[in-house]
Amino acid sequence: MITSISWKNVWRNKSRSMIVIGAVTLGTLSGVFVAGMMKGWVDQRIHSAIHTEVSHIKMQHPEYLNNEEIKYTIPNYSEIENYLNNSENVKAWTKHTKIMAMAATSRGNTGVMLKGINPDEEKRVSDLYTNIVKGGGNYFESEFKNPIVISEKTADQLRLINYQITDNLIDTLKLLKVKDHTIESLASIKDKRFITEKKFKSALEEILHKNEIRVHGPVIMQMAKHYKVKSKIVFTFSGSNGEMSYQSFRVVGVYKTANTMFDQMNAFVIADDLAKVAGFEPNKYHEINMIINEESVDIKDFSQTLAEKFSETNVMTWKELAPDAGMMADFMQVYYYIIMGVIFFALAFGIINTMLMAILERIKELGMLMAIGMNKKRVFNMIMLETVFLTLTGSVVGMILGAITIGITGRVGLNFSSVQEGFEAFGWSALVYPSIELSFFFGVTLMVIAIGILASIIPARKALKLNPVEAIRME
Amino acid sequence: MKVIEIENLNKIYKESEIEVHAVNGVTLDFEEGEFAAIVGPSGSGKTTLLNMIGGLDDPTSGEVIVGGSSMSKLKGAELTDFRLHNIGFVFQSYNLIPVLTAKENTEFVMRLQGLSAKVCETRSEELLNIVGLGERMNARPNKLSGGQQQRVAVARALASKPKFVLADEPTANLDSKSTETLLEIMEKLNREENITFIFSTHDARVVKKARRVITLEDGKILSDVTKNGGE
Ligand SMILES: Nc1ncnc2c1ncn2[C@@H]1O[C@H](COP(=O)(O)OP(=O)(O)OP(=O)(O)O)[C@@H](O)[C@H]1O
Ligand SMILES: [Mg+2]
Repeated sequence: MITSISWKNVWRNKSRSMIVIGAVTLGTLSGVFVAGMMKGWVDQRIHSAIHTEVSHIKMQHPEYLNNEEIKYTIPNYSEIENYLNNSENVKAWTKHTKIMAMAATSRGNTGVMLKGINPDEEKRVSDLYTNIVKGGGNYFESEFKNPIVISEKTADQLRLINYQITDNLIDTLKLLKVKDHTIESLASIKDKRFITEKKFKSALEEILHKNEIRVHGPVIMQMAKHYKVKSKIVFTFSGSNGEMSYQSFRVVGVYKTANTMFDQMNAFVIADDLAKVAGFEPNKYHEINMIINEESVDIKDFSQTLAEKFSETNVMTWKELAPDAGMMADFMQVYYYIIMGVIFFALAFGIINTMLMAILERIKELGMLMAIGMNKKRVFNMIMLETVFLTLTGSVVGMILGAITIGITGRVGLNFSSVQEGFEAFGWSALVYPSIELSFFFGVTLMVIAIGILASIIPARKALKLNPVEAIRME
Repeated sequence: MKVIEIENLNKIYKESEIEVHAVNGVTLDFEEGEFAAIVGPSGSGKTTLLNMIGGLDDPTSGEVIVGGSSMSKLKGAELTDFRLHNIGFVFQSYNLIPVLTAKENTEFVMRLQGLSAKVCETRSEELLNIVGLGERMNARPNKLSGGQQQRVAVARALASKPKFVLADEPTANLDSKSTETLLEIMEKLNREENITFIFSTHDARVVKKARRVITLEDGKILSDVTKNGGE
């Protein structure tokens, strides 16, 4: 009975309750959405940390961690190979040779880590092969001697990207019904090559109006970009004999991941090619990366098993290898609840205020209820329930709307490319697919109930202080 | 059988330096089945006296004994519980919970008493039929006239099967037709069910219906007259 009175009391002053419920709805919706977006980001970051960058578990020579010298190869490699091939817990694994090298073209140079891989094996462990940019060649499919796959970032530093207005581009713009004036202006620099993005941009700024750049700039930049695939890059490194060696590799592919720092470091070559030029012995590798069968074994447990079995090697999980992603995975739940907590804390003031108004309006009625025999505990419960209902209604609506919003945006993705550079520097993708766990909604519901109970204390105390006689007598 | 014994009851209100002796040395008994009116000019202490009888207000001194037990010994939750089980209340206004129907309002006290939903339902329907609202059981108070609301209040007061019903100016806000109807219902309940009613009033027509009339002045009993055979 008291429960039903409380629920009905919520709707006594409809417009006032609706304002509070609306605020709670909006607060919950935005909290849930932000949490969903964060989770989408974190999930993506974790996914690319594992499946593009570091894999589940990496094994290497313990010294290699401190000192990336090529002499620190994995001890007892054959035993490990044998073990991994026969373990049901390992989905796929691959091994790399690695060497630090200075890359140079006629126009630029930069330092990279050359990783010697076996492309077919690598594909099963890392999805990097899916990250070849448009117009940027392919992943070791072309038949060249000494092929190499470099990142767009490295290509840029080596000046292997040109910008050029081509006939093709102009035709496309015509199809897109871009104004004649814009196309004529662009035609004036047709076929001219710009070797940096900056130079091309300033050329565009000279011939185009600000508005034209704002509207068409991104498309033009994208289409004018040409990767100089097949170019030669000369690498300098000190091989196993300690002497400086030179070797040229030919670009077959240009990749781009969401992690600029990863891109800046890593270039991939065929392990056999690298072994030849650097003088690596057979069965000497610097690292083993593996993907674990997560349904059959816990990553941490399995890494411990490996560490015990092969005590001369260092074994690390992705959480240690990509600590930013690892930390996020561990703490993200806490962050979501902090966000919701802050929102509900702010809303609590509005809720308390509304309930205080409701109590003041009902002084006579409350006095009457106490007079006819409703004890303080029941009065308290009635007010507490009303507060909880008020809060819960809004948050349930907010959670439903939040789930719908996340459902939709989770499918199509949210594009943050206007602020892309800032995100990608840290490995956070600019395209986010929000997602949420069901348990989060349970958590929020419990939280809302707790907030409702806490927010009811002040109004309820006010009601309990009433003296029934005075309350009834008051005119 | 005596349901209420009042012994030398006093209530003094102190406002700054001035003391108001709202109830001054009242000694009274009420027998079961009485139909008594408390009358007197405004400020004579009617409400104060009824509140003390109903355990809503503490006397400054003196005793109110209901069914043999002294109320002054009860505090807080015990007192609330005592009211719930022993006394029916009808106030001048604000008797009903606006969000509940007539029937739910009548059931409310019984539910507080812990009676089952079934029992509550049967009894509240019965009572609303007695007060002539069988047809309006599912109406909320704002859909009922003032007189109908007071009749629901009477039904509600009786629902808890109290030892007596206290009504402070139950007809003050009613027109003469509604006043008459309400009084008839109260009289009938008194006659047929032997319910004890103690009510205060200003209305001469209401006073006429009472079998016992207690007149207060300045907190003191001026007269206490019991008519023979009502009317
Ligand atoms: N809470 C209070 N504080 C101070 N004085 C009070 C208080 N309540 C009542 N009084 C005073 O006590 C006296 C009796 O008041 P009471 O309300 O009992 O009279 P009443 O007979 O019910 O009057 P009415 O017919 O107007 O309802 C009055 O003088 C009143 O001013
Ligand atoms: Mg009065």
